[in-house]
Amino acid sequence: MKANPKDVLTGIYYIDGDVASGYGALAAGCKFVAGYPITPSTEAFEAVCRRGPQVGAVFIQMEDELGSISAIVGAAWSGVKTMTITSGPGYSLMQECIGFGAMLETPFVLLNIQRGGPSTGVPTKTGQADIMQSRWGSHGDYELIALAPDSPQEMFDYTIKAFNLAEKYRCPVMIMSDECVGHMTEKVVIPEADGIEVEPRRLYTGPAEDYLPFKPEPDLVPKMAKAGDGLRLYITGLVHDERGYPVEDSAYKSKYVRRLVDKIRLNRNNIIELREEGTDDADVIVVSYGISSRVAVKGVEIAREKGIKVGTLRLVTVWPFPDDRMSELAKKARAFVVPEINYGQVVYDVARCAHGDANVVLVPHGGAGVHNPNDIADAIEMAVREEKKIEGLVEFKTRLQKSVFEGGFKLKE
Amino acid sequence: MEALRTDSKQEIHPMENLLRMDRMPHIWCPTCGIGIAVTAFTAALEKAKIDPNTVSIVSGIGCTGRVAGYVKLDSFHTTHGRPIAFATGIKVASPKTKVVVFSGDGDLIAIGGNHFIHAARRNIDMLVVCVNNFIYAMTGGQVAPTTPLAAYATTSPYGCVEPPFNIPYLADSSGAVYVARWTTLHVRRLTNSLTEALQKKGFAVVEAISPCGMYYSRINRLGDGLDMMRFYHDNVEIRHGEDTKNLDIGFQTKIICGKFVDRERPSYMERYNQWLSDVKTAGRRSGGQRGSRK
Amino acid sequence: MNSIISALNKGIEAAGVDRKRISITSDIPFEPEAVRSLGVDYFQTPRGRAIAFGTGLKLGNPSLKVIPVVGDLMTLGGNHFVHGGRRNMELLVICVNNFVYKKIAGIPAPSTQATFSPYSTFEEPFNFPHLGNSCGAVYTARWTALHTKELAASVSEALHKRGLSMIEVLAPGPNYYRRIDVVESELLQFYFENSVVKNNEDPRNAAITGDDKIIVGKFTDKERPTFIDSYNVQHTKILGDKFTPHGPASEKQKVSGGKNG
Repeated sequence: MKANPKDVLTGIYYIDGDVASGYGALAAGCKFVAGYPITPSTEAFEAVCRRGPQVGAVFIQMEDELGSISAIVGAAWSGVKTMTITSGPGYSLMQECIGFGAMLETPFVLLNIQRGGPSTGVPTKTGQADIMQSRWGSHGDYELIALAPDSPQEMFDYTIKAFNLAEKYRCPVMIMSDECVGHMTEKVVIPEADGIEVEPRRLYTGPAEDYLPFKPEPDLVPKMAKAGDGLRLYITGLVHDERGYPVEDSAYKSKYVRRLVDKIRLNRNNIIELREEGTDDADVIVVSYGISSRVAVKGVEIAREKGIKVGTLRLVTVWPFPDDRMSELAKKARAFVVPEINYGQVVYDVARCAHGDANVVLVPHGGAGVHNPNDIADAIEMAVREEKKIEGLVEFKTRLQKSVFEGGFKLKE
Repeated sequence: MEALRTDSKQEIHPMENLLRMDRMPHIWCPTCGIGIAVTAFTAALEKAKIDPNTVSIVSGIGCTGRVAGYVKLDSFHTTHGRPIAFATGIKVASPKTKVVVFSGDGDLIAIGGNHFIHAARRNIDMLVVCVNNFIYAMTGGQVAPTTPLAAYATTSPYGCVEPPFNIPYLADSSGAVYVARWTTLHVRRLTNSLTEALQKKGFAVVEAISPCGMYYSRINRLGDGLDMMRFYHDNVEIRHGEDTKNLDIGFQTKIICGKFVDRERPSYMERYNQWLSDVKTAGRRSGGQRGSRK
Repeated sequence: MNSIISALNKGIEAAGVDRKRISITSDIPFEPEAVRSLGVDYFQTPRGRAIAFGTGLKLGNPSLKVIPVVGDLMTLGGNHFVHGGRRNMELLVICVNNFVYKKIAGIPAPSTQATFSPYSTFEEPFNFPHLGNSCGAVYTARWTALHTKELAASVSEALHKRGLSMIEVLAPGPNYYRRIDVVESELLQFYFENSVVKNNEDPRNAAITGDDKIIVGKFTDKERPTFIDSYNVQHTKILGDKFTPHGPASEKQKVSGGKNG
């Protein structure tokens, strides 16, 4: 299905990532946005407030983030595409209903412009330390999809993609952007409406009495319904059977939750999007996402000038994680270098997939800024010099624990 | 600034013993009213003859949320919306502490609304100073639950569509024992109110309406902070004891100020202690019986 | 709970609202059979989020009638309630109050073993109608589980109100019930003996104090523009033709004549 021309603000703009994401949401057909102001994500909500009423999208500024996310889950069940926008502490508050949304298999999009943490942290500066929270934040087992755009143009494109994925797999989709990308102003090209593919809601159309809200289709995703269609929905956050009725049976629970997890895991090859460059014959592969991948470009350039064969792999979808591809590359390359603006999160998944076949070097950053490309280049150089396999993870330039260096790499001071 | 302060004794701020002068200059914009509210509060603290060592001040997030950081008491800068909950913890665990919550309208009434009404219901012994500037100023001028109908804000670019809260009425109906409202133009009255409220036992709320020259008045074309002060001068009506339900604030309409509620209700700790002694007597009387029921 | 469901059933019937258009959002688990008997859509939300969830449901599809049934005495959801009232979201909030009463059947509070409720024995309870009224609800009423006829009438009346309506229902919670050693009939007897109907009483005076009788009745019935009304009026005023009013056609006509504030 193509986008509605009325929703799309076709043209070439010079806007920041937040605004681009807001326009992307409206272009994807989002008709309800609930938000709460929080730096640095407010601009996206403001953009929706300005443009939303003109394209028939309702906005409401709720009393808090708990209210915002509850409202969008509710609105999704009334049949519209929904999004909420938040950052830092607001994201923590939303965790309860993210799990609720996943349990109800509700399609919605959550834009998280990550900022420095923990707690209030550094509201106006960047961070990438929520990335594991997006995976494991709510209690219980569930799987969802997280995207990490790295430019305002991608904020527009991947907001649309996030809506499409949410509709397709009936699950919450996180856009894990960060303050740098959110506040970065660049050229954004918004195409004509017929250049934008949007996924319609997978609505049930059969007779009302046969409808089972949680009966999976062959791709494990059930058809959705909306309130007010006379289907007499019974929707609950308790573990439920295909009718939606609560069950407490342990066998059933494992079957149901298994499907929640598997509908993403088994479809992962259709979901995962990676950007690879020169990975086939690389000695060192730089794995990065979001703003770090843009900084890494310069680091890789410096390393290549020194004659090192470096490849880059950018995680556009951070979750689900590309286990297969990562394991495959681990057999070929000597090391992975993972720059991220935290003290190690995605790097653990890289290490898990490396199976000890390749060394894994973390280039951490405390937040409130981005990496120095020279650090990334140095880490690449360090990684390529190390011949032997090293047990565990190595952190580049960690100053507090000297012992970390002693077993493995020697730092050039 | 440094030179100015150390050169001569006359330059010392009269409230220097209660302010963290090492943190000056503060972050508030010119013509902002929060500083006035802070001065009124420190003056009230002196007037009420409360030992500053026993006072804890708790703030949340936002412009007013920075107050705790400039006042030389035990200061806590907590998460968004949670100062009352945090302060409840201090008060209940250490009842001798005088607890003051100093925060903004968005922090206390929007995200912290639930803590606000529940603390008022429990009648926890604390003073809540709610600086109301009608907008979320720290994040750049978003609509707040106190923004008057049809006023502009960045998240209500076509005018606010939600009627605002009447904070005194909300506080009154959930059980606060002292409710007053002043603007930051009424420095002396505000100080007196704060002094009274500090000495009050129970949940006391003082709303201080403050101009936001940077966002609220700029977005709504109301001039700067000084113009807002002039507006307060011309449009405030003082009506002590007014029924709190008549205190709605519209866009640039008359503002009614005064002390509205001053009553007595047993505070949380009093009820708690009463309950505890009841339990003890009841337990002694029917202890065996209760045990046997299980 | 059963008496509430039957009152809801009767109220919906009397209101003549198409059951297809009614959604109940609740943090109380309803039995599937009960929902089937009501013939409505039912959503069980996390604790305290029924009103916020309902807000989204209503704004997503304004032709729905949303009934948040809030248990848990609004410990978690109090904020959503007061803000819903302020916005005047078109919701019918049924607030199920299963408080463990201070002097129930002569047993002093401390031995009722109430564990976790804002009405836990030594705290003073909220006066919900007063709270609702003060934050702008257009309809407030309080009934006990005994007043089934009045409750059903209130439900049917409130379903036609435009704005946030609130009905507090004092009802014995079955789970609580097993914990306190009072038989259901005794409590109902208690309600019978200790409640007094006072319609149109100022909700300010309707606090449940423990010394006086419980005042029940309809307290507030007023008119205010709803959130969707104000939203449409304000945006039409500023945006003109660029804005398409939100909501079903019938509501749109009402809105064009409506006044803001």
